[in-house]
Amino acid sequence: MLSNKSFVRKTRHGKVVKVVREHYLRDDIACGALFCPTCDKSRAKLRDTALNIVVIDTNVALHQMDLLENEVMSDVVVLAVVLEEVKNKNLSIYNRLRTVIDNPLRHFFVFSNENHKDTYIKSLPTETPNDRNDRAIRVASQWYQHHLGAAKVLLLTNDNDNRRKAREDGIVAETVDSYVQTLGKPELLDLVARSDAMDVDVEDLRPNKKAVVYGEHKVMSEITAGLHNGRFHQGKLRVNRYNPFEAYVGSESVGEEILIHGRQDMNRAFDGDVVAVELLPQSSWVGSEVGKIADRDDEEEEEQVGLVPASADDAPREFKLEDGKKAAGRPTGRVVGIIKRNWRQYCGSIEPMKMPGGSGGTVQALFVSADRRIPKIRIQTRQIANLIDKRIMVSVDSWEPTSRYPNGHYVRTIGDIGDRATESDVLLIENDINSRPFSEAVLACLPPLPWSFSEEEHLKNHAHLKREDLRHIRIFSVDPPGCRDIDDALHCTPLPDGRFEVGVHIADVTNFVLPNLPLDVEASQRGTSVYMVERRIDMLPKPLTEDICSLRADVERLAFSCIWIMSSEAEIESVRFTKSVIKSCAALSYAEAQARMDDSRMMDGLTTDLRNMNRLAKIMRLRRIERGALTLASPEVKFEIDTETHDPLDVGMYQVREANMMVEEFMLAANMSVAGKILKEFPSCSLLRRHPEPTPQMFEPLLRTAAAVGVNLDISTSKALADSLDLAVGDDPYFNKLIRILATRCMTQAVYFCSGELSYPEYLHYGLAAPLYTHFTSPIRRYADVVVHRLLSAALGLSSLPEQLRDMPHLTSLSDNLNYRHRNAQMAGRASVELHTVIFFKKRPTDEEARIVKIRSNGFIVFIPKFGIEGPVYLVGKEAKGSSGSSNDGMWEVDDEHQIIRSTDGSRTFKVLNTVRIRIEVVEPQPNRQKLQLTLIM
Amino acid sequence: MSGPHLDADHELRIAKAQRLLRDAAGGMHSRAFVNVGDVIPVDHEAGYLRGHGTQPVKEELLATVCGVVERVNKLVSVRPLRARYNAETGDVVVGRVTEVGGNRWKVDVNSRKDAELLLAAVNLPGGIQRRRTAIDELNMRDLYVENDLISAEVQSLHQDGSLHLHTRSLKYGKLRNGQLVRVAPYLIKRLKQHFHQLKDLGVDLILGCNGFIWISAASPGNKDNLPGSVATSASAVVGESPLQFEVRERICRLANSVRVLGALGLLISPDSIMQTYEASLLWEVPVKDMLSADFYVKLAEKEAEQRMKR
Amino acid sequence: MTTEYVSPEGLRLDGRRPHEMRHMHAVVGVVPSADGSALFHMGNTKVMAVVYGPHEVSNRTHQLHDRALVRCEYSMATFSTGERRRRGKTDRRSTELSLVIGQTMEAAIMTHLLPRTQIDIYVQVLQADGGTRAACINAASIALADAGIPMRDLVVSCAAGYLNSTPLLDLNYQEDSGGGPDLVVGYFPKLEKLSLLQMDSKVPIETFEKVLELATEGAKAVATFMREKLLENTKTLASARGHLKL
Repeated sequence: MLSNKSFVRKTRHGKVVKVVREHYLRDDIACGALFCPTCDKSRAKLRDTALNIVVIDTNVALHQMDLLENEVMSDVVVLAVVLEEVKNKNLSIYNRLRTVIDNPLRHFFVFSNENHKDTYIKSLPTETPNDRNDRAIRVASQWYQHHLGAAKVLLLTNDNDNRRKAREDGIVAETVDSYVQTLGKPELLDLVARSDAMDVDVEDLRPNKKAVVYGEHKVMSEITAGLHNGRFHQGKLRVNRYNPFEAYVGSESVGEEILIHGRQDMNRAFDGDVVAVELLPQSSWVGSEVGKIADRDDEEEEEQVGLVPASADDAPREFKLEDGKKAAGRPTGRVVGIIKRNWRQYCGSIEPMKMPGGSGGTVQALFVSADRRIPKIRIQTRQIANLIDKRIMVSVDSWEPTSRYPNGHYVRTIGDIGDRATESDVLLIENDINSRPFSEAVLACLPPLPWSFSEEEHLKNHAHLKREDLRHIRIFSVDPPGCRDIDDALHCTPLPDGRFEVGVHIADVTNFVLPNLPLDVEASQRGTSVYMVERRIDMLPKPLTEDICSLRADVERLAFSCIWIMSSEAEIESVRFTKSVIKSCAALSYAEAQARMDDSRMMDGLTTDLRNMNRLAKIMRLRRIERGALTLASPEVKFEIDTETHDPLDVGMYQVREANMMVEEFMLAANMSVAGKILKEFPSCSLLRRHPEPTPQMFEPLLRTAAAVGVNLDISTSKALADSLDLAVGDDPYFNKLIRILATRCMTQAVYFCSGELSYPEYLHYGLAAPLYTHFTSPIRRYADVVVHRLLSAALGLSSLPEQLRDMPHLTSLSDNLNYRHRNAQMAGRASVELHTVIFFKKRPTDEEARIVKIRSNGFIVFIPKFGIEGPVYLVGKEAKGSSGSSNDGMWEVDDEHQIIRSTDGSRTFKVLNTVRIRIEVVEPQPNRQKLQLTLIM
Repeated sequence: MSGPHLDADHELRIAKAQRLLRDAAGGMHSRAFVNVGDVIPVDHEAGYLRGHGTQPVKEELLATVCGVVERVNKLVSVRPLRARYNAETGDVVVGRVTEVGGNRWKVDVNSRKDAELLLAAVNLPGGIQRRRTAIDELNMRDLYVENDLISAEVQSLHQDGSLHLHTRSLKYGKLRNGQLVRVAPYLIKRLKQHFHQLKDLGVDLILGCNGFIWISAASPGNKDNLPGSVATSASAVVGESPLQFEVRERICRLANSVRVLGALGLLISPDSIMQTYEASLLWEVPVKDMLSADFYVKLAEKEAEQRMKR
Repeated sequence: MTTEYVSPEGLRLDGRRPHEMRHMHAVVGVVPSADGSALFHMGNTKVMAVVYGPHEVSNRTHQLHDRALVRCEYSMATFSTGERRRRGKTDRRSTELSLVIGQTMEAAIMTHLLPRTQIDIYVQVLQADGGTRAACINAASIALADAGIPMRDLVVSCAAGYLNSTPLLDLNYQEDSGGGPDLVVGYFPKLEKLSLLQMDSKVPIETFEKVLELATEGAKAVATFMREKLLENTKTLASARGHLKL
């Protein structure tokens, strides 16, 4: 049966257009009940044993998602009209609803009421779309009652009006609250979201007594008009990680970032929301006062002790001061409206408070998020006693102008505070890392175990792959000690004419991870393996990473090889790529490899190969440095973990030996060769990696510090920088390393990108001084490498390129996801290290030597080389602040240009790069917020 | 097939009438109707001759047009209904001159190609028979010019499909004082006579086999003779009295009857025309309303009734 | 955010399933003054085709001595799309479609039976909602059959596409704008041969095969429908006339 939907629409240019669409009504749509005598049951989900078949309305789906995700809700009918409305209003809720629906154990059924001939309704002339949809919900519920029996079917809605009309129509309807109460599990009530717009049966007739704390948000139409005529500016809000009351809105219309200062001006916007901002008059613009830590608010935050930043993204934001003059001030504004909310679920804990007498009563508590950019959230709970010392997850519902804090509700408990496993879990959740075990579908994609190489299978049956048999070559691998996922192996065979055949063999992961299978989809979403201190979260299941793909010693394994013929001076004469089967003869650790090379008594073939490779590697490295590659000191810290308690026993700087650099050199060379090959074949859809050159502004802090100690750095090109870094030598041996560490903070992040998106000059990898680069050598732990393997295989004509990889938009979104995952994995790794650092120092306050890296008005920042951490040291006590308006109690003077702070009586002077002694200990200034503190030992 | 604009009510009645007509078709074998590409059932062993509208594909005989299967002895052919006029020797046709020159006139007779009327095939004025000279050729225009309507007979069909006409009789020639109505050729049955005189109405009727029907006032000088005498352009009678109103009305009424019959797809013969004419008088339908939906539908119903009786 | 053209419940935007065609409607002989005419509706796409011929060639120089000349002209009414737009007959799309439809029909007409004549086909889109090409060919087919022009077989046409990894039959305008491939097929149902195959955008070969198969199936369904209508029309005409023997 055919019906026509016609409506009138306004196009982008303002023209009014009539749209007519067909709408087919069917009679073959099933009700979805397993016990229904008439309908088709092939996709039915609703069970007879259910107490009620619940039909939900749109608002219930939008606001009560946490309740719906809970297992107690099952045998639920989601109408197509509800699903459509949810999709249009909130995509993330829609995705969550879809996940629940797709899970067969939850027994959620989607009923296509809009296409069923009995439940389709046309909107009445004066009906608004909302009313029409509500009516559709009622009609569908009625149909269900008629079809399955009134006793079973229940309409769940919080809307008073809807409920009243439903009851008039004879439909059984209830509010969420009353329904949950009938289920007999009071703790579920915590999950029920409170919305201020929710209609409670008793209307609150008292006039609104609460004072309005924040300005009202402007109406959407006003905002659009304001954006149009330039009064407002749109952008994403990014809250300063180190000062939650300071935020920036990147705005194209203003040209630079707009600063939002203070809670009032932020006006209930969260980090990540898309907001509309109005600029304040220029006189109110914030000036150079923000060089020190903001102290406007009563709840100020201080700079934290943490790992040394590895790039500009990790370092606290700084404002450049114009040579001591007071800066004109940055454009400052305030938020007038929120265009798109970016709320998610947050981990954290309840702020300690007085416990109520007795239990079971509903209590209001404040939730403090682990991510300091998020404000405190007010929740109601009946089980305060259970939550008080736990890390919990909370979701936000609303934030009224009358309320100081946003309202939210509890979702679930993660574990005890301070418990290492719990804290690690929190880190993972906050960084959006999926640590759940692999699903059945994924594991089903693995080949049957035990797996071993079969010549017939791989050489004969898959002849089209042209796999070479390289089992006779002496191949070995060099990895960190205890490494079980070996993805690369090397060989170096001297040729009779003095040249060398050098090969890099990478685990042939794409042989097992086929495109679009659940295994592949899961890996592409995870993006990378995450390395925490005490555990590793794998991108691929263990059987693959540690056994089947891993190039372990003395077993035959499949590989993808990159083989060069090099002159004795390490010049690449030719390169060839091939799939292969290898048999590694030794899996060495860096220490073992180094020992072999150093031991002049060892003269066996393996050691000779190592020495040859080392020699070649050194030449290659020198050549790279000539070209301008940067060698920056990244102070990686390594923990020694107690095997039983998993507590850190010792922490120290990672030692880089020659063997490390040798392997690294060949990996770089392989990556560069592969990049060249795939770009040639697929100029517009190759996945490459680039490192954008830092802007001069980013180098500012480094240049200032260097100038203060008399070092002149040339930042015009990477080579110039590298050379001037080499020349920056001081009296003490550590000087150069420090300068390099400071240089690291100025770098941008390297990112993946699709070659079609940018032009050739932008492919540059600044740090490696390579015009082209990609990731090829670690497919076991990085998905980008899997993609590059597929590209290379297609470039060699061994297989056809999967459909999505030919599609540029898909590749772009894939590289965005990989960058996101990579970033998150890095942050999680760092956070894990910081966590363990705190645990380590909790029991052992330590005194140690440190170097000053930056001067502040109330102290300085130090770097402790032994542990690889840096943090602030205060010379002025906290109590002294604020009284005289400056953060200095008058005892100290700062010379910013020379980066010196000296006492007014001249007795003590501290200059950047000086050595001082520091005490490291863990303190708990606020309950449940432990942190490291550094104090100067005079 | 659609005539006047029908509203919903009329649509229903017409549909009903059509259904009745179909069912009462009497003796119409359903297998006689074929579509393009349908297989025509033939007895392969007995042998058959393939006629128009068929094509052999592999072992079968397929139809190339939509229509009715005709079997004459062993000749199997498919005749489409609404096609252009397919001439046969001896047919009387009415046509319009499109071109003059080169020893002949080209006449549009609603066929695939225009028909040719050779100079040698017309009767010269005066009725004399002599060899045509060049002068005659130059004087062709005196006989017929472009857009003249003439009646003629099909003399012969040639291999390449071209059609030759002749007007070698007094009854053929230029037509005047009348109205031309065009209908689909298949509605005209081939009869002995195509020239009809409706004496009591004072109207002459020519049913051209090509679907052109000429209705005119009875020519004054030929009450006993055949109508449509050799009138030529040159001999246009000067001062001939204009037709009387009644005659004109009757001509119009007859013309409309023909039109309605054509729109309904009913067979056109003098009888059916007269019946329609009389019905319109009986039902007191003014001439201009004869083309309305009402009359159209009523006529269809009447026809259906009649057929049912048979 | 990608539009869901096929919901997980297996329904498309307008409620059809992937292998279902839109509602079809045809009227034979809508223009009585023409030799053949037809109206063809596929869902909300409505097309009218009118055939004149075979008749004398208007321009002697174009006359072909051994076969008929087939001319086709495609145009869209100004009111056929959502926004009223005047389209000339010489814009690229019209010329392309005129050529395509003309060639497709010419392949079906037995032109060698009608030498030195001309057949004019005029196709006009009255309402466009995706699949205009297919509807035009179908309408022209019926009009030609109505005009009694001998053809090797009826030409039926249908369009299919590929969205959300599902082959979809008979796309409407919304689905057509979805960016997936659009494949149009001109098919001889009895001879089981293709007269026209057109596709835009790139697809891998496996997808292509699936979509082609689907379009062909759709064309067969159209053929059944068209046959029915034509037969009905023939019967009505013949029975109206009465005795059929000459």
